[in-house]
Amino acid sequence: MNIKDLPDEDYFTPGHTACAGCAAPAIVRNMMKIFGKDTIVYTPANCLLVFSGTYPHLAWKVPYLHEAFENTGACISGIARAYKKKGRKVIALGIAGDGGTYDIGIQALSGAAERNEDAIYVCYDNEAYMNTGIQRSGATPYGAATTTTPAGKKILGKLEHKKDMAEIMRAHEIPYVATLSISHPKDFLEKVKKAKETEGFRYLHVLSPCPTGWRFDPSKTIEIARKAVDSGMWTLYEAEYGEITKIYKPKKKIPVAEYIKGQGRFRHFTEEMIEELQRWVDRKWKRLYGEEP
Amino acid sequence: MYEIRFHGRGGQGGRMAAEAYALAAFLEGKYAVSFPIFGAERRGAPVKAFTRVDDKKIRIKTQIYQPDYVVVLDETLIETEDVLEGLKEDGMVIINTPKKPEEVELSKPVKCATVDATSIALEILGRPITNTAILGAIAKATGKVSIESIEKAIIEKFGARLGKEAGEKNALAARTAYEKTLVGVAKGGKEFKPRKKWLPTVEEMPIGGAIATMQTEAGLVGIGSFIENKTGDWRTFKPIINKEKCIGCKLCWFYCPEGCISMQDGKATVNYDYCKGCGICANECPTKAIKMEREVRA
Repeated sequence: MNIKDLPDEDYFTPGHTACAGCAAPAIVRNMMKIFGKDTIVYTPANCLLVFSGTYPHLAWKVPYLHEAFENTGACISGIARAYKKKGRKVIALGIAGDGGTYDIGIQALSGAAERNEDAIYVCYDNEAYMNTGIQRSGATPYGAATTTTPAGKKILGKLEHKKDMAEIMRAHEIPYVATLSISHPKDFLEKVKKAKETEGFRYLHVLSPCPTGWRFDPSKTIEIARKAVDSGMWTLYEAEYGEITKIYKPKKKIPVAEYIKGQGRFRHFTEEMIEELQRWVDRKWKRLYGEEP
Repeated sequence: MYEIRFHGRGGQGGRMAAEAYALAAFLEGKYAVSFPIFGAERRGAPVKAFTRVDDKKIRIKTQIYQPDYVVVLDETLIETEDVLEGLKEDGMVIINTPKKPEEVELSKPVKCATVDATSIALEILGRPITNTAILGAIAKATGKVSIESIEKAIIEKFGARLGKEAGEKNALAARTAYEKTLVGVAKGGKEFKPRKKWLPTVEEMPIGGAIATMQTEAGLVGIGSFIENKTGDWRTFKPIINKEKCIGCKLCWFYCPEGCISMQDGKATVNYDYCKGCGICANECPTKAIKMEREVRA
């Protein structure tokens, strides 16, 4: 599957009110091209909800629901079962942010995965609660400045490392887990297509660079996503029933210092902090690729 | 007491401008308060901020409905809403625009000051963030605070957040705007149709209610209705595609967050009604066929 195989038909319209340079609309628009019209979309509280569904207006051309923050897993379970009962084949698609996945939504998500509901869960990960004004989440990387972990005299950004959510989902041994990046279109589209064709609970985790929250120039969104992959800050792989089946390995690994350059949230980084972040990346790298970086 | 209402777009720094102005007035021994109003607005969406200044303590905490001054950080806003709403008889409007005051068309003829804050910001700061430049224009147009206090307030407020050098650059932007501000009277006569509200309100919707797509007096509602929301006036830069160089790889079509690029005869074409000018297409184009150019509005 390649860009040129994508249909022209869009199910996500222009006119939405995302910040200029936001990765999320590009992610959902391209996903929807593959999922198609027989999709029911659910989103909890997140930026996507606000910029694509401001009552009574909607950027979606498919049925769309919104409920509370913590129950994406429960809602898509309900949608999937209701349509199964009616005998109609639809995709129950839940799209939550990192806050709604890592922190607030993990209980309902874990339950739905454990029951192996026939639904697709997408986490678009912009590494903080951007919707409410850049508060740290379980997805915020080490050292990143957010409004609740500012870089000041007492602390220099977030003290803890990013939680490995995709690995938590892999441990559920569900039919399909994949990590994606919009900067790698072929890999991205193949994974979305595979998710569509798989039955049971599917979890897609996409990195979504945020110019406003990460403090970078909006034209650099894709470039930064690409650097995240090349540095190992973001790893691309897929797993079926808990077994890793495909790994994307960057041609040349770049140092993490290269990735954080140009992002305001890392501006205060000291040499020691860069080393600490690099150690984290190297541990992750070794775990995934089974070799020293 | 006098009151200022700032109209800007999220990310342009309307809130910071309102705060820095309050600080400048405070430095001159006045009482001052400022606060923004925003809901779920993203960067680029219209937002408002308010500043009140008085010789005595300020007890009133409401939004400002009858301002003495209206400040417009983005000239596209004067096209879509009546920024003069509630402005006092002898009030004044300060607008970021390359036009002369006499060339600006508003709902009624009012005292008007103009300055090309975007060009000043791009030249001095390298970014189209106009909140500090406009402060210089306010000082010049109203004479209510001195430019020196404005500079001091900017260095204190922006310096604390962005570093000393950035603080000083922003102060220079304000000083430059101060010197370039023109004062005159705007043209009146522009008509604004009040937008009809769509009913029922979200509170009146029954639990479990759904909206079908339909054309109403308030415009299209329901599924796919965001298409009527033109976001093209958010941008400062616009992508220009060199069709000779375009190889039709569709990467820009794929990456565009707005979905406003389409392929015509195998070449990329931009729908400027929606393009917010993020510049991703120009940055990612493998043949460098896309260039970002400063938007010039008629």
